[in-house]
Amino acid sequence: MSGMAQVDMPVAATLDRLLLMAMLIALAAVLTAAMVMQYAFGEIPCPLCLLQRYAMFGCCFGIVMQLRSPDSERGAGVGAIFAVVLLVISVRQTLLDLFPRPGHAYVGSAVFGIHMPVWSVFIAVALLAGFAVRLALFGAPRPSVLSALSPMMSRLTYSLALYVLLICAINFVSVVVQCGVGECHTTGYVLLSSPH
Amino acid sequence: MMAAVFAALLVALAFEFAGYGRIAVACLLLSFGLGTWLFLWEIYSADYGFRMPWLEL
Repeated sequence: MSGMAQVDMPVAATLDRLLLMAMLIALAAVLTAAMVMQYAFGEIPCPLCLLQRYAMFGCCFGIVMQLRSPDSERGAGVGAIFAVVLLVISVRQTLLDLFPRPGHAYVGSAVFGIHMPVWSVFIAVALLAGFAVRLALFGAPRPSVLSALSPMMSRLTYSLALYVLLICAINFVSVVVQCGVGECHTTGYVLLSSPH
Repeated sequence: MMAAVFAALLVALAFEFAGYGRIAVACLLLSFGLGTWLFLWEIYSADYGFRMPWLEL
């Protein structure tokens, strides 16, 4: 029985890591797609849209933290907190745009027929489900096993963390140019607009 | 204010990437506080807030 457990644990630990990496790759892809829509198609993000991006980056932080600290589940907890934050903000914006009113169109264009705040609701629920599934399937941390994982997974984790850091830096610069030091109720880039 | 939220988040990610976990979590907490404050302001601001009168009973 103990021999079987020794065989199963590396497999479970590897699958656990792969699930976390899949979640991180999905988040990075969503954030990259949002940036492409902003810079290539001119979709200026609203304040709540930026706060949803912020919550997704918070989830990325938690997942990176979890991938790099196998002796604790703190990273997964941080990721789950930010997934709840993402859910609260996106549900708020979805309810806000539910009712058409003068002077306020639905923010952003639809992707596959679904608007972006609604996509954020789906993403938040998927993240929470992902954290729940990995805890249910793979259980408690296994430090001795995780430390022996392949160098390729370590390199992939490093690359993903670096990419998330890079797109966060781009988003920070973009936010400064768009919002200045204000709360970001803008329809363009504040620092690029000519003074009146 | 939005820039401050993202600045604190960027610093947190940079410290986490560099291996300074405790400082990273401290910066993330600062970012979380600023983000929460900004979200509540967005909801409740009388002038600029995104209120939902159709849901108020």
